[in-house]
Amino acid sequence: MSGHEFHPLVKQLLDGDITLADLPAELRAEGEEALRLLARVARTDVTMPAVTWRVMAALERRRRRFLPWLLAPALAAAAVLVLWLRPGSPPPSAPVVTVRFVLVAPEARQVSLAGTFNQWDSHATPLVRTGPTGVWTATLTLPAGQHQYAFVVDGVRWVPDPGAPAVDDGFGRRNSVLTL
Amino acid sequence: MRSGSQATDGDIVRAVLAGDRERYAQLVERYRDRYARYATRMLGSVDAAEDAVQDAFVRAYDQLAQCKEPDKFVGWFFLILRNRCFAERRRNRTSASLEAANGVAAVDRSDGGAETAEQRRALQLALLGLTPDQREVFVLKHVEGLSYSEIAERLSTSVPSLKMRMHRAYDKLREQLRDHT
Repeated sequence: MSGHEFHPLVKQLLDGDITLADLPAELRAEGEEALRLLARVARTDVTMPAVTWRVMAALERRRRRFLPWLLAPALAAAAVLVLWLRPGSPPPSAPVVTVRFVLVAPEARQVSLAGTFNQWDSHATPLVRTGPTGVWTATLTLPAGQHQYAFVVDGVRWVPDPGAPAVDDGFGRRNSVLTL
Repeated sequence: MRSGSQATDGDIVRAVLAGDRERYAQLVERYRDRYARYATRMLGSVDAAEDAVQDAFVRAYDQLAQCKEPDKFVGWFFLILRNRCFAERRRNRTSASLEAANGVAAVDRSDGGAETAEQRRALQLALLGLTPDQREVFVLKHVEGLSYSEIAERLSTSVPSLKMRMHRAYDKLREQLRDHT
């Protein structure tokens, strides 16, 4: 047995099979050393409260990415049908409106905007922090009509715009609605 | 079917598979902290552990239909998390263990004085020097407080095999901590 190996009886002590009193006198000191080692083991609870919404946000993000692909064939068919019914008359270009999105989020490290206007891509439209007070803004030019969107805080937390009406997205979350 | 906190794991798994996807949050809520400590000790970093736990829950959701016994969801989930932790360790074998040990020691700081924190940091560093198999059995027994038979059931192995791993771990820890006794 080399110098750093515990005696088999001491290992039984560490396993909880015997007590210090069961060790022969010559092994007591080694037994105490072994127990001191175990006493260092910290059993502090580690809590991860953010994991729940991070998991649900990850599932939600994937669903949002996946949904347009499911709908794509139907939308393509509808577009073809509309063009077929209106031959020779190109649609007039829709008017556009410049809109400023604002979110106050002092604790956020990054904020972006995901919505119908960027295919719910949470990386496409980052907001810029405008000062030390935690005001984040982005200015977009959008076609007139109705748009749905949400802010994405720190890449994972989807929050509706507190200053805009919201609708249920059909999956238990709220999307903000902007009508231009 | 029971709902809310009264629902069994099996009730929730079946509800999610039937289309009530939001119920999955209940399973995450129920088990995330129980396995946070395991992942933290296995990976030596709270941040890495949080990513691993999150990723394991997302993978479990993806494969939920393959959970043959919904009432034993937690045992099935543990194996997914375990694989994730082992893969992470393989990927980051060369990562800075000292930094990781400091990260875990910071979590433990509220649990004792500076001297204790230093000893725990040394132990965490020594734990990271064990093989993943040795570290796992040490964490499950001495951090999670499971018995050998419980660990054997969870890992589908035998008690003598676990004891062999553990006894090697004891010797290796003793060797590494010799200067910190």
